Amino acid sequence: MRRDMSARLITLGVLGFLAGAGAFWITRTAVFHRPQIPDAPVALLVGWSFIGSGLLSWRAQPDNRLGPVMVLTGFAWYASVIQEGRSTVLFTIGLAFQVLYLAGFLYVILSFPSGRLQTALDRALVIAAFGLVTIGQLAWMIFADTRAVICDSDGCLPNLLEVHRDDTLAHGLLQFQRIAGLVVIAASIGLLAVRLVRASRPQRHAVIPVLLAGCVALTALAASVVSDVLGNAERDLFGRVAGYAFVVVPVAVLIAFLQRQLARGAVAGLVVELGEPSAAVGLADALSRALGDPSLSLGYWFPAESRYVDSDGRPVALPGPGEDRRCTVVERGGQPVAVLIHDPALEHNAELVDSVCAAAGLTLENERLQAELRARLAELQASRARLVEATEAERRRIERNLHDGTQQRLVSIAMSLGLLESKLPGGPGQAGPIVRETRAALAAALDELRELTQGIHPTILAERGLPVALDELCHRAALPTHLQLDLACRLPDQVESAAYFVVSEALTNAAKHSHGSEVRVRAACAGGLLTIEVADDGIGGAATGIGTGLRGLTDRVEALGGTLTVSSPPGRGTTLRAEFPCG
Amino acid sequence: MRVVVADDAVILREGLARLLREAGFEVAGLAADGSELLEQVERASPDVAIVDIRMPPTHTDEGLQAAKAIRQRRPGTGILVLSQHVHARYAVELLSEGTDGVGYLLKERVSDLAELASSVRRVGEGGSVLDPAVVSQLVSRRRPGGDPLGQLTDRERDVLALMAEGRSNKAIAERLFVTEHTVEKHVKNIFATLRLPPSPDDHRRVLAVVTYLNAQ
Repeated sequence: MRRDMSARLITLGVLGFLAGAGAFWITRTAVFHRPQIPDAPVALLVGWSFIGSGLLSWRAQPDNRLGPVMVLTGFAWYASVIQEGRSTVLFTIGLAFQVLYLAGFLYVILSFPSGRLQTALDRALVIAAFGLVTIGQLAWMIFADTRAVICDSDGCLPNLLEVHRDDTLAHGLLQFQRIAGLVVIAASIGLLAVRLVRASRPQRHAVIPVLLAGCVALTALAASVVSDVLGNAERDLFGRVAGYAFVVVPVAVLIAFLQRQLARGAVAGLVVELGEPSAAVGLADALSRALGDPSLSLGYWFPAESRYVDSDGRPVALPGPGEDRRCTVVERGGQPVAVLIHDPALEHNAELVDSVCAAAGLTLENERLQAELRARLAELQASRARLVEATEAERRRIERNLHDGTQQRLVSIAMSLGLLESKLPGGPGQAGPIVRETRAALAAALDELRELTQGIHPTILAERGLPVALDELCHRAALPTHLQLDLACRLPDQVESAAYFVVSEALTNAAKHSHGSEVRVRAACAGGLLTIEVADDGIGGAATGIGTGLRGLTDRVEALGGTLTVSSPPGRGTTLRAEFPCG
Repeated sequence: MRVVVADDAVILREGLARLLREAGFEVAGLAADGSELLEQVERASPDVAIVDIRMPPTHTDEGLQAAKAIRQRRPGTGILVLSQHVHARYAVELLSEGTDGVGYLLKERVSDLAELASSVRRVGEGGSVLDPAVVSQLVSRRRPGGDPLGQLTDRERDVLALMAEGRSNKAIAERLFVTEHTVEKHVKNIFATLRLPPSPDDHRRVLAVVTYLNAQ
């Protein structure tokens, strides 16, 4: 397929070269010169410029009609040149194709850069031009006696298509062709001027050379026609200017196409880059490189909350209407995947943005899923932290209620009992022992209640902080306990509380299961990390996840972003280690 | 003997006042928080201030802070701190400010009127009182390495605990149904075993014993 294409292009190139050479020879040897063609080199260059640039554009963008149209325009140009050959047949053919190239030229500049005529006006202008240069020209040739109009020193060549000489009609037709042509040219210039003004910054960069050269060529052409009609001598000058502009247009088209190919190269580079294993790390970077927008940022669609999040799952704010930023939503299967927040300039290079998005689509979807996961994890972590916070608050509330309510009422009952006992008649009264028993039961109840409230929320922790609370805890431990403290930093309440319960639970477990003789507790805070370590010298071999107590502790520690690990090799004691981030 | 009672719970404050009146004390003032207590002490110059440890506004150890303030402003005033929790640390903190006329009792001890009255009186007379639960916590504390307390006999440990509670030899003798002389012998032994300097004064030795127990 590609090979066929190359062969065809090469063949056309060779033909174009030969056509140019032939035309050059004809022009050099001709005595008669058409007004539009000032000299042979320019005539040669215009054709080669169209054919050469057309072929290269065709190769660069095989799907774009501009390439083939430019090649045809180039050949049409050379065809118009052969009328200068000294043969009636060549003259007639050349005359028939004299202005065909103008229709091709108009198509090129009006359809640039897509190769398609976008508006009805574009299409109407090109059709009108085509009609004028084909039907109009042929109609004129039918009635025009060219011998009377175009002669050279060797005599006048007849126009083989002449059927019936009618000078008035021929003149009328010529004038109509010129005036209608001027209207088409004027309308086209107007259209191009509007496009020039409306083109945005990055687009302007690509289209200005083509549109400008097109405008110059058309204006010079119009001026030349007007001069022709008015019989002014400047028509040759305008014809020359138009000729130079004709040379420039195809080259400008080619340059624009090559620039696009460079951009496509960036997309190809992006595809390669995305194939790398570490691609996901710099997806936004890769996209910003491919699109040439350093300010580009990415948001991934998070359907659960109907908003965009960044790769870490944090919400991304979309630019408001007043901001100088634009959004391009990337979709897959009708569902949004991601949003590119970029410079407004990129909006006019939609083709490139589309290619980049298509190339990055799968990676974006993949990243989106990961971002969604991270967002969900962050949410989960936050909800876990809220849960712990709520539990903590609830524990404090319960402890306070027990202290202010139940405990005080029980104490007040104890007081009344004491009073009652003092009022009992001395001697072996029967009520005395009962009251004492009741008092003892009440004391036991208060004891239990005290234990309970300390388990719910140790008051000493709130009152004196972690170091003192740990010291008290170690003093009360059932096994002899060494405490090593290195807590210079302030810790959040929840971290202190979790650390306290870790030590408390570990000490209880050590006393119950380790069969050890000593426990070492270490609490140190360094580099934003609080490390709690409780190690016994017992038998080890404890199953990790010993009891629900440890499970609950793990939850509590992890909710604060920490970790809890138990290491218990048989015969070498059990070490419980908790680490908390503590800013 | 004149007392001032400070507790933020009306039911306990009034109940305590009633008990104390019943036991023959003159209740010279009632207070609901630390600052009120200080005012009452300034105004009524009581022999003993009975203070709940947990009071507004912080609901932490307000009572302890107030007690320290009273010791500084009115050094002669006895202070009995009541707590719902057994915090040996707080008791030791209180004692370390000076053992003359301080006490730390669990709130529920108020149910034994005779014991309460005796405690208030001891504090009022410049003695010291430490709750048995606190002492028991101190004595039963597990000490890494060889525990010197292990070298004491059971009876000596009983005597040690009662000493720490702030009881005199006479009181210990009555409690253990032995003679005062026997108690003295035990005390001498204990001091020798624990390598404490002998301290004949009933009051002063509390601090020595408690500091020793707490430090180990």
